[in-house]
Amino acid sequence: MKRNLLLPFLCVCTLILICSCVKDTDFDQADEIALTPVVELDLIYFNLEASDFFDSISQTPRLEVTDTTEIRFLDDTFVQEDLKSAEFLFNFTNSIPRNFQVDFRFLNETNDTTYTAGTTVAEGSLANPVVTSYTETVIDEDVISLTQADRVVVVVTIPSADASLEGALNLQSKTTYFLEIKD
Amino acid sequence: MKHCFFLIIALWATHGIAQNKQVLYGLTDVPQNLMLNPGSMVPQKKHFGIPLLSQIHLNGGASGVSAYDIFQEGEGDINTRIRDKIFEMSNTDFFTATQQLEILNFGWRAKNEIYFSGGMYQELDFITYFPRDLAILAWEGNRDYLDYPFDLGELSLTADLLTVYHIGANKQLNDKLTVGVRAKIYSNMGSFSSTDNQGTFTTALDEDGVNIYDHTITDADILVRTSGIASLTDDDSDKNVGSALLSRAFFGGNLGVGMDVGVTYNVTNRITTTASLLDVGAVFHSKDIESYRASGTYNLNGIELIFPPLENGQATVPYYDNLEDELEDEIPIDTLTTGYTRWRPLKTNASVEYGFGNIFGGGECDCMNPGGGVTWQQAIGAQFYGIMRPKGPQMAGTIYYRRKISESFSAKATYTVDSFSSSNVGLGIVADIGKVNFYLAADNLLRYGNLAKAKSVSLQLGFNIKIDER
Repeated sequence: MKRNLLLPFLCVCTLILICSCVKDTDFDQADEIALTPVVELDLIYFNLEASDFFDSISQTPRLEVTDTTEIRFLDDTFVQEDLKSAEFLFNFTNSIPRNFQVDFRFLNETNDTTYTAGTTVAEGSLANPVVTSYTETVIDEDVISLTQADRVVVVVTIPSADASLEGALNLQSKTTYFLEIKD
Repeated sequence: MKHCFFLIIALWATHGIAQNKQVLYGLTDVPQNLMLNPGSMVPQKKHFGIPLLSQIHLNGGASGVSAYDIFQEGEGDINTRIRDKIFEMSNTDFFTATQQLEILNFGWRAKNEIYFSGGMYQELDFITYFPRDLAILAWEGNRDYLDYPFDLGELSLTADLLTVYHIGANKQLNDKLTVGVRAKIYSNMGSFSSTDNQGTFTTALDEDGVNIYDHTITDADILVRTSGIASLTDDDSDKNVGSALLSRAFFGGNLGVGMDVGVTYNVTNRITTTASLLDVGAVFHSKDIESYRASGTYNLNGIELIFPPLENGQATVPYYDNLEDELEDEIPIDTLTTGYTRWRPLKTNASVEYGFGNIFGGGECDCMNPGGGVTWQQAIGAQFYGIMRPKGPQMAGTIYYRRKISESFSAKATYTVDSFSSSNVGLGIVADIGKVNFYLAADNLLRYGNLAKAKSVSLQLGFNIKIDER
């Protein structure tokens, strides 16, 4: 019995292992795997007082105030390759009785401007601050321009200012990054 | 991320609870059975494993997903299937792989009737739990998850490459009781672990009015420990990785000690119970340590511009640098070189067996089985297996049928319920052809027709030279 059974049994077991296979699957689909996270991230914020637009020492208006910050991750290879679109949301709250022009200039390492955005902020009053929301959507070729930059210059322009001007201009902002991460 | 995901899937697609050798356990015809229960019955007089071929063990599994679930042909988009699986799986699901290669295994019965055995094997053991929250964050982003605390503590994985030197003793104390013990020395070639982490990441609307959101990391405490890896990845190192690993394999790595204990108790001449505890021990990591710890709480609101009055050419405030410095101050990443101790994954086996049919090899006094009582031609039984893992024990239950078909041929069929499936059928065969002992054990046979549908596969095979008592 032992000799009769042994060989067939070993054969069956070996066959099971040899014939084991992976089927009804298509591993080439791995090329189609794409992560598409949508990431919300705070950008910049500021709170400018009306007095920031008037130099009390020289008694002259400062009609344009400027500041710059790096956003180093913006020109990372990862962002350049995988960012499909971006949406900036700028929420201004203005209690200064003046309109403002606010411009955002995105610069690359050599200080060349690669992308610009800007808006007019409606005037408000101390009693009645006015909210201006501005959305800038960046798609297609503009994404390439945007992701060449690693810093943003913010320029706030007031048409006129004097020592008696009161109120504040506040900005809150965020960016929504639409990513598509593929091989 | 995508590559890691694919790598894990591919890893287990080509190859259960890792290290459960339910088919081999209790198969006293296989000398390696002593590695699962040092207190097992030992029928042979001596054995010598064919070097490098006495046991090859491969085991891989994923508790919540199969390759077929993701890569099936037909309708539907693979990304939808992955997304569905991410949400279907829980943070206690895991991916695991274990590989063992026995280099030496030998044993002999001394004149005092103690069966001594010893040897050396190499082991690679890996487990990662599914970090569900981090997978959701990577797959979906945070936009649709405002106020949701993503759990950073779900990051939990361990990987160890080691060699084990062991020597054991087994003795039948009386007609009913056989006991055994095995001492082990571990030489760890490389270890990577990150367990017991904590912390959350939350994006919420900013209620203080500073900016639109609060991005908050709360009570983070992430610890990644490595040993034996830093010197291999060091650019300045001229060492050959292969020779470095080889030297560590021979007591040159981080050393540890452990033991196995086991017992067999014949309740009646038909009912036998067994139990064993394996790898009760620890590795003391003291060499080539490089660990990283990040801990703290941080709230990000973006960058505040203060529009300082500047002269021409004067640089503005380095806001981004300040932000990075602030983050590093609040959640510092410390590099540690202090030693640490890691417990080996403790394994437990237990069984109860009922023998029936003919008594094999003759009457009550079975000269072929001096180490035990009676060898029944057939037996049915139940087994329990447990292993300690970072998030608690993983367990499996098995019922089995064992039959000794001839003097030289035995087989065992198992049905196992574990974290991977409730339909795991396994089969093991042992053949003694002359003095050559060959065994082959595999589980999840129902899936061998299409391994893509298997959530786990385990395979052991090996050759020994076995000399019986006759």
